[in-house]
Amino acid sequence: MTLIQILINGILLGSMYGIAAAGLSLIFGTMRIIFIAQGTVIVFFAFLVYWLFVKAHIDPYLCLLIIVPFAFLVGLGLFYALFLRAAALEDKNVSLLIAVGLMYLIENAILKVWSASPRGINFSYQGAVLAGWGLRLSWVRIGLFALAMVSGLVVYLFLQKTRLGMAVRAAAEDMEATTLQGINSGWVCAVSFAVGIGLAGVAGVGMATVYSFDYQYGFTFALKALVALSLGGIGNVFGALAGGLLLGIIENLSDFYLSIGWTPAVTYGVFILVLIFLPHGLFGKRGVVKKA
Amino acid sequence: MANLLLEINNLSVAYGDIRALMDVSMEVYEGEIVALVGSNGAGKSTLLKTAAGLLRPQAGQIWFDGHDISHMSTKHRVDRGIVLVPEGRRLFQTLTVLENLKLGAYLPRARANYAESLERVFDLFPVLKERANGKAGLLSGGEQQMLAIGRAVMAHPKLVMIDEASLGLSPILTRRIFDLIVALNQQGTTVLMVEQNIHMALNVCHRAYVMKTGHIVLSGTGEELLANVDVRKAYVGERGSKL
Repeated sequence: MTLIQILINGILLGSMYGIAAAGLSLIFGTMRIIFIAQGTVIVFFAFLVYWLFVKAHIDPYLCLLIIVPFAFLVGLGLFYALFLRAAALEDKNVSLLIAVGLMYLIENAILKVWSASPRGINFSYQGAVLAGWGLRLSWVRIGLFALAMVSGLVVYLFLQKTRLGMAVRAAAEDMEATTLQGINSGWVCAVSFAVGIGLAGVAGVGMATVYSFDYQYGFTFALKALVALSLGGIGNVFGALAGGLLLGIIENLSDFYLSIGWTPAVTYGVFILVLIFLPHGLFGKRGVVKKA
Repeated sequence: MANLLLEINNLSVAYGDIRALMDVSMEVYEGEIVALVGSNGAGKSTLLKTAAGLLRPQAGQIWFDGHDISHMSTKHRVDRGIVLVPEGRRLFQTLTVLENLKLGAYLPRARANYAESLERVFDLFPVLKERANGKAGLLSGGEQQMLAIGRAVMAHPKLVMIDEASLGLSPILTRRIFDLIVALNQQGTTVLMVEQNIHMALNVCHRAYVMKTGHIVLSGTGEELLANVDVRKAYVGERGSKL
């Protein structure tokens, strides 16, 4: 039973990485950069949930209704304010450096507003457990998994079933050809960036329900999401989600059979091995990432 | 004479310090097939890209259907009815054939004519109907060129600009694509084509311009240019040209 418990816990924990990785994948698709500030943005939204909970006593899951639309708008705003011109440049380092700058800006803003001490929220049903068949599963972690699955499905339907989603897929493949169809590719990039930030909003809510977090936690989290993305392969939302779940399992196995101290080494060891031997990830499509 | 559809006046374009087009003027009338020929680096693609709004002119104007479009976005140009089939097709390979066609009809004006345009494209290129739900990347070279042209037709254009339709195609397939371009033209769509396959281009076009190092050096009907000694020497394989 222990192994099954570890695997399930791993999957539940990995849901967070999955949501973050799906966001990274989406942003990479059109902007061709790893949006390194993603983790910090997630932590920022977790702090907002903390505020909504502590100051206004809003249930963290109810916060989704506020945080996710807000995150989407923040995404649009950030794109037009910071990335619109850089995204059109051949040199992607400019966008990457802006993202690094943004990460430090948000980190320090969080530090200023909420101080350096870690925060977390305690709500009534946080400790509730689903027990049975010899397993004990925390409801908030099941909630995390549900968040990941639902947001993955929503993003998938957006990309596959809407005209704008189709334009996002086209732009991820060839920006100039998308422009030639009369499509405003700046807007398409802005929307896919905003959906990525919207996912960061979902992840922020998830983080607030399970973890305690501080202003510096975001960077580590972004790296974990990057490992999940490399496992899943870029260019596929479900691949990114699956990569997150897999990373959760790997970390939980390592926590239990090795030790918690070894887990980061295992995580980044897996990262390096995947990059060397499976550069397209486990579920990624070859040739998706082609030069525009 | 038919209506003047595209008018390019004294257009100059540069990539950084490198001047690609110098003081180029040309016209395309409604209903014509006009070919733009010349060797590599003559500025043909630059001209089409500038007309499509991908490049900004340094000087000169581009008039389309009675409006100065020189500083319009690509989106607004497409909406007015001028579309570019880019060099190398530039299809969305991981998307289906039908999705590629839908993207061609993205703007509201084109979308209003979607059903009619789709029928027209499937009529011209029946193979695309058979492959509608397959990935564009799995099409053969000739089929990909048909899809690239079909995608442009979906925009419900007045003028289709085609950059190197023959690129990478066998002479037989090139012939077939050219026949289809003629068929498209006979349905009332004006065509401006850039071609390296000069002999074939001059055979199907009504008029042509010969470009060299950023200038237009000759113009005339297809037959006139085919008969021109310098054109023959420079591009159709005879020796001792002044071009």
